[in-house]
Amino acid sequence: MEFATLKKDVWGREVILGASWDLLWVILALTFIGIAMHAIIAAAKKRKAAPDSSGKRIERHEKIDRIFHWVMAVSMFVLLITGIFPKIGIEFAWLTIHWVAGLLLTVITIFHIFRSIFWQNIKDMWIGLKDFKEPFDESYKPGKYSLAQKSMHASVTILTLLVIVSGIIMFALIDTPWWERTNALSEDILGWVFLIHGLVSLALVAVISLHIYFGLRPEKLFYTRSMIKGWISEHEKDENHDQEKWVVKD
Amino acid sequence: MPSYDVMPEVQLYQPTEVDDALNLAEKFRQQGWLLGGGQDTYGWLKDRAKNPTALIDLNDIEAFKGIKATSTGIEIGALTTLRDIIRNPLINDHFEILAKAAGRVASPQIRNVGTLGGNLIQDTRCWYYRRGLACYRAGGNLCYADSPEAMNREHALFNASRCVAVSPSDTATALVALNATMVIKNIDGDREMSAEDFFVGPDTHITQMTALEPGEILTGIKLSNEWSNARYYFEKIADRDVWDFALVSIALVIKEEANTVKDSRMVCGGVACTPYRLNKVEQYLKGNPLSEKIITNAAKIASQGAETLNYNHFKIPLMENLVKRALRS
Repeated sequence: MEFATLKKDVWGREVILGASWDLLWVILALTFIGIAMHAIIAAAKKRKAAPDSSGKRIERHEKIDRIFHWVMAVSMFVLLITGIFPKIGIEFAWLTIHWVAGLLLTVITIFHIFRSIFWQNIKDMWIGLKDFKEPFDESYKPGKYSLAQKSMHASVTILTLLVIVSGIIMFALIDTPWWERTNALSEDILGWVFLIHGLVSLALVAVISLHIYFGLRPEKLFYTRSMIKGWISEHEKDENHDQEKWVVKD
Repeated sequence: MPSYDVMPEVQLYQPTEVDDALNLAEKFRQQGWLLGGGQDTYGWLKDRAKNPTALIDLNDIEAFKGIKATSTGIEIGALTTLRDIIRNPLINDHFEILAKAAGRVASPQIRNVGTLGGNLIQDTRCWYYRRGLACYRAGGNLCYADSPEAMNREHALFNASRCVAVSPSDTATALVALNATMVIKNIDGDREMSAEDFFVGPDTHITQMTALEPGEILTGIKLSNEWSNARYYFEKIADRDVWDFALVSIALVIKEEANTVKDSRMVCGGVACTPYRLNKVEQYLKGNPLSEKIITNAAKIASQGAETLNYNHFKIPLMENLVKRALRS
């Protein structure tokens, strides 16, 4: 199995063309196997009673952050569909939709970076050494975000930034309403850009699949609800989070 | 890229029945090369720019040849040679524009063996692509023709999406003007589609010129009587009078009533990846007399939206003048 496809450049030298799209099926298969294994193990374990969702409501996500999340989700889905479907033989005029969705993702990501630095407590998402106790110590409770949530966020952050940067370079290579394309990049560098964009997109397929799976698991559904409605109950918070590490502002 | 001047090793199949041909097309799919007159085949293969494993020679299938009248018009087998089309009385009596367009293809020798189907589904003549470079059209990640130093005087003005190559077919413009229907077969049956939809642009299908999928064969072209005996005009401008591809061509069919345009279809070749239908011009002409002012305006409308490359600006006045000449004819 190869990660990259190769081609001959205009001088006859072998250069990278881009990611090997055969990897898509490998990624999907591995992700499916991983999800199935987790589901089986989780089903075999004795499930704790779900905390009561009634009672006092604690705000977990502000409205603006929920809007950001869902706009990002939509743009990511559009990007993956328009980017991958033509590669597997489902042909349609994808390019304009792809770069418009890419621009949207870029804008909201910049917004999120500024918001997380200046308006949110960025430390809530940092992964520290203490967080690694969580999987091994059932009595250990995380702050606002669990290690799994922080890891998911870190993965998506790195992959999204990589896909945006490589995407912007590729964006310069097509005609848009604002500029005519440039062929300024050499073919070998262009190949690397396509390779990074392709591999990162494939990694996003896996990460987003896992994100959706965990978001739909019964014991995690209250987090998904909080991303829609904004709140979790006090019981849900007390059961899953350390009161001292996640101090709710009144 | 070296030209070997000899054929590469390839399995040759010569089916005589339609079903055998369809089974072979399905069996080999992308690895099978459908052979008609061979005029767009041997160059690719000798240059090793395309490397099919099987050559499926369709020339022994009589069902794919000939021109016959039907209750609604005429039907032309895809394997009918261009010479037969040029000389056919049915076509000359009812759809002379097609004979005229076929008569401007390449050279007499090529028209003797070249087929209508082959002329329609031939690949683009972009020389970067033809040279075997891994451009967008060849599945790569860039266009060599759209760069500041590229030789692109033959390339597209309209509807380019990454690839700027143009459709090289002369008969395609005439058939789109005549609102022809393409008959396509595969092992599961037949499907028909309009000529306009048959040719596809790079925004949806960057590696192919037509809607033909692997395993499918273009078997025939139907012309309905809708545009039979309509006034027509066809002109092709090329660097040479024979054996050359269009820089710009125009095909017009037009119906007039009481000195005004009742209906028309106007199609330009050599300006887009597909035969480029001038819909706005057709709408503008409808109900108008063909006065000099209307003709001048129509020519301006025709070139609206053109996006030039470094060396193909000349195609805009060429196209506008062809529109004028077509309407004045």
